[in-house]
Amino acid sequence: MYIPSVNFHRTRSLAEASVLLEFYGSQSRILAGGTDLLVDLKAKRISTDHLISINHIASLKTITEENDALRIGALTTITQLDESQLVRDRFPSIVDATRVMAVRQVRNLATVGGNIASAVPCADLPPILTALNGSVVLWSNKGERIVPLRNFFLGPRRTDIHEAEILSGVIIPNSGRNFGAAYARFGLREGNAIAVAAVAASLTLSANGTINSACITLGAVAPIPKVVEEASNVLCGEKPSDALFAKAADATVAAADPISDVRGSAAYRRELVAVLAQRALSKALQRAEEDAQ
Amino acid sequence: MSEIITFCVNGEHHTKLVEPHDTLVDVLRDGMRLTGTKKGCSVGDCGVCTVLIEGQPVNSCLVLAADVGHQAITTIEGLATNSELTPIQKAFVHEGGVQCGFCTPGMVLSATALLDKNATPTTEEIKDALAGNLCRCTGYSGIIRAVSRCENYKSDGTCVKKNHALPEKQSGQSDYRPSSKDGTSVGVSIPRVDAADKVTGRAIYTDDITLPNMVYGKILGSPIAHGRVKRIDTSKAEALPGVLAVLTGKDVPDTMYGVSPARYDEYILAKDKVRHVGDEVAAVAAIDLRTAEQAVELIDVEYEELPHVLDPYEAAEEGAPLIHERYERNINTRVEQSFGDVEKGFAESYHIREETFTGNHIYQSPLEPHASIASWDHNGTLVLHTSTQVPHYVQYMMAHVLHIPLGKIRVIRPTVGGGFGGKAETTPLDLCAALFSKQLGRPVKMVYSREEMFHHGRGRHKQHMKFKLGVDQDGTIRSFDSEIYLDGGAYSSFGVATAYYAGSVLPTLYRFPNYRYDGFRMMTNKPAAGAMRGHGVPQPRFAFECLLNMVADDLGIDPIEIRRRNAMTPNSLTVNEMDVGSCEFLSTLEAVSDKAKWDDKYNKLPKGKGIGIGCGGFVSGAGYCIYRGQVQLSHEKGRESFQKKSIFPHANAIVKISEDGMAAVLMIGAAEIGQGSDTVLSQMCAESLGIPASRLRIRSEDSDISPLDLGAYSSRVTLMAGHAVSRAGVAVVDKMKPYAAQLLDCDESLIEAHDGKMFVRGEESRSVPWEEVARKYFNDNGPLVGTGAYKPPDGLGGNYKGSTVGTSPAYSFGSAVCEVSVDLETGKVKIDKFTDYHDCGTPINPMAVHGQVEGAVVMGASETILEDVQFDKQGRILNPNLHGYLTMTIKDAPEIFSGLVDSYEPRGPFGAKEIGEGSTLPVLGAVAHAIANATGVWVKDLPITPEKILRAIRGKNTQNIPSASEDFPEKCDHAYQSE
Repeated sequence: MYIPSVNFHRTRSLAEASVLLEFYGSQSRILAGGTDLLVDLKAKRISTDHLISINHIASLKTITEENDALRIGALTTITQLDESQLVRDRFPSIVDATRVMAVRQVRNLATVGGNIASAVPCADLPPILTALNGSVVLWSNKGERIVPLRNFFLGPRRTDIHEAEILSGVIIPNSGRNFGAAYARFGLREGNAIAVAAVAASLTLSANGTINSACITLGAVAPIPKVVEEASNVLCGEKPSDALFAKAADATVAAADPISDVRGSAAYRRELVAVLAQRALSKALQRAEEDAQ
Repeated sequence: MSEIITFCVNGEHHTKLVEPHDTLVDVLRDGMRLTGTKKGCSVGDCGVCTVLIEGQPVNSCLVLAADVGHQAITTIEGLATNSELTPIQKAFVHEGGVQCGFCTPGMVLSATALLDKNATPTTEEIKDALAGNLCRCTGYSGIIRAVSRCENYKSDGTCVKKNHALPEKQSGQSDYRPSSKDGTSVGVSIPRVDAADKVTGRAIYTDDITLPNMVYGKILGSPIAHGRVKRIDTSKAEALPGVLAVLTGKDVPDTMYGVSPARYDEYILAKDKVRHVGDEVAAVAAIDLRTAEQAVELIDVEYEELPHVLDPYEAAEEGAPLIHERYERNINTRVEQSFGDVEKGFAESYHIREETFTGNHIYQSPLEPHASIASWDHNGTLVLHTSTQVPHYVQYMMAHVLHIPLGKIRVIRPTVGGGFGGKAETTPLDLCAALFSKQLGRPVKMVYSREEMFHHGRGRHKQHMKFKLGVDQDGTIRSFDSEIYLDGGAYSSFGVATAYYAGSVLPTLYRFPNYRYDGFRMMTNKPAAGAMRGHGVPQPRFAFECLLNMVADDLGIDPIEIRRRNAMTPNSLTVNEMDVGSCEFLSTLEAVSDKAKWDDKYNKLPKGKGIGIGCGGFVSGAGYCIYRGQVQLSHEKGRESFQKKSIFPHANAIVKISEDGMAAVLMIGAAEIGQGSDTVLSQMCAESLGIPASRLRIRSEDSDISPLDLGAYSSRVTLMAGHAVSRAGVAVVDKMKPYAAQLLDCDESLIEAHDGKMFVRGEESRSVPWEEVARKYFNDNGPLVGTGAYKPPDGLGGNYKGSTVGTSPAYSFGSAVCEVSVDLETGKVKIDKFTDYHDCGTPINPMAVHGQVEGAVVMGASETILEDVQFDKQGRILNPNLHGYLTMTIKDAPEIFSGLVDSYEPRGPFGAKEIGEGSTLPVLGAVAHAIANATGVWVKDLPITPEKILRAIRGKNTQNIPSASEDFPEKCDHAYQSE
């Protein structure tokens, strides 16, 4: 399996990459980690004339705190994200995802930006980053555009990235107090398994112990990492309990739109969503309670 | 646009012209000739191409070379300095971390990266670091041992033990200590003779070879499951610059080939019909593989699509599409065997249970893809380098198809990266490469992609089994009736033998007084099924073990007790006239029960935890050869009637002693495919010569050098080739005896050879150096050479149709206990632990034996719960890759204890018999039983997936779950692989 003939452009700045992207238009692709893109090219699922590598733009490889928010550069690898103390301290739920993603060799190459921009329905970061109310930073020579992840995904492999825009990073706002989130996913193997179904959950508790706000998102069981508003409605204003979580799980299942494929039937995926929703909520609650102490 | 880039690889600078599309793995292998970095899947699933970039492991198939100039790259060649292995490499050598070696470079590099960051990793950390490196041979046990114990590893196998992260030494402490106790070579766990080459990337596999002026070939497969080839237009392909030749069905010989002489039914390329998706239609040779890949896509084939049939029961129906004219109702092989009086047996039974079981489509998935390089000498000799388990059968089949004598074909088997039955046949790669090479006068290399491997097929037959078992009140088996439909795919392959094997080895484990087997091997429009580890037996064995456990439960008898009551005993003739010699089955049962603490656990574990038992055994080599008569071009010999004896020896060896007497060279065509045959054969030969194994070298790779051995199949090598090499050694010693007697001044009948000395029996101090005697012999006679040969005993088997299949000089036995945890909400199974005891006779190399068992446990467990080649309704494979077809990673593999019981097989060399295939057989049933024990429900359809478990718990059927066939391919996008 070989990559068809292609032109390669090594860029040193977003400005340079953006100019090339504008010039070559739909005949070009941004190359970051390459673990999805190069496979798609080899398998002839996609074709392109120009690969614009942004791998040498050092400014996109950092994780920083900006005004209380966490800003993750698009070229941060999954390994860097997984091992970041800052991430572990502030958003342990992200590590729920990075821990189970692919394998070390891929995690060392694959980037946060790529995992989001590829918009593959079974990708692991989009559900949890969406549940954390994250936004993507889209850079172009005209300036930065910030789009909430909940609005960013349009369909399988389709996003709101405009022509000549490059996904340069992710911003995760400060979660405030009494906050917890978690990511629960199911794969068929212990190692290197693609998600069959996944649910991310976040919630904030009020002083009296009721749920103030909640967000549940889906992975691998809908065309996009869908936010399940119905589940939030079930949860908000209520006291957390197994029964409540089961009700929220039912709402989550109702919102899922899974397919049948080699990894499982749609019916099985719905069953998984029910289980994973409850597990994600329980873990999120546990973290929120710990956060409150 | 190409670009000149300087790479920093292993501390050396390489300046190369790189194309933008070049991946790092190709630049390393083709541009720098660093072939220790392997290619296994090209899409980041398998990890054999792992290299370190700035100390971090990455898949070099997923990195553009142009993107990594000036970064520090480390390949396997960069680890050992000045031929001194690193501690981790030594540990892999000495702890059994290496078998076929194809995963080894990547595995060692991943381990190196881990240990550089964390010198004392926990077992969990080791598993996380190595989860991206698939291994199909070792079961990961030896690898975990190696990484856990590598600190300060010494070449004598000792290490400074760390305080933590040391897994419990499984499989018996002393087994892993290399020892030269009294200079004995047999029964000792010496490291593999090829291990050091494999941990350093020096072992050369077929695809690592580049011959001068070599070109590359590629085959086009059919996109449809069944159809007539109406027209092929190759003009566009021929016009592509760099294309040298194109072959279609009209260009290839009219001679059909296959495995069973009575059912040769394959052409090299389709002449009239295609019979499965991927069936080979045309081939291209070009100056490079990239061009060849582009060219095959330019071949325009017009098909007349025919109705296809994918289900073996539907295939048998009146009016079903006929796949081959010659197989009426698509029945390829029909078995009707009946022994005793089955109906009377049922009439006398206290309890009868009847159940239906379904197997799965299992593909061997060796990590090394099939590869072949053909070239012709100027004198008309075909030289074929091929990745095969059966060099002799390849030679025989090439001679048959190409109509040239065997003597004009030289088969070279480079290092083979695993086979498991998938490389036991001549491939279209071998044949097309030979045709192209003859036409072009240049060497031609052809390699399957991972996807093409799945389409070529030859995996395990999926079997549909209806079993009926009648027993006495105490569980004694009275009668057993079985009907099996084997899904054979589109060609015969090994299928005739498979259909018979499916029934013939069941009665070697338990005593069946009455037994009937109705078998139907059906043709379907899928890739041909072939022989895979345990050939035909694992699925019926799984089904029988499940049924026996169900019956035990029905009667309230402990599952181990019911086995005790029916167990085969030594020196028995089975109901189907298989001649069982040594048999320590009962000892394996007792040992495994004690070790696993069965009585404390069975039916006493909390819900979601389960324990199960499974047993099995296999032949130690097929009693008869698959082609009849003597070795000669098959067209020239008349159809020979079957005789109950071997016409020629199945294993043949030559030992040549170097002129100074310091080394022995053992020549035998037995195929080392990762299972360790080079090592155990060296040990047995050295033992019979009376020299340490370290003074012996083995040449098994070249048919010009080594005499015929039938190859690595039917678990035959240790027993059959073992006899041949031992006899060759004895022949040398016999020639030396008169000289030794003269030097020692004694009668030659008193001379013995041991540990590099020849001495007077009973007076070991009266000795001369072995080499001194060898030199004396050479001075007088010239070359000191001994030969040895082995024929299976005459007269094996009964006098009924198919009686030869299942015959063997000896039979192995084993018992395994599996412990699992099941998530009752999702159905997910974690296989926690395996305890296995085997009767493999007296082991030649215990470490190698345990390595086979550990590998078989993981392969068997993997096929029980994970693996299945899935087809859509058009007969297309939905998961022809290693992210869709899932094999166990190191994280999935259970903890394994492998133990051996005392046993001696009089018909085996040094008392030995097989281990490689028999060790698979107990596994499937043990896993299924443990899951049933944990969940309270039986899943009788393989693989036992979480979805089926959940359905079974809910009381729903577990067959025909709606799968991708409904949605594929329109919505497949949805769930495709992510980063």
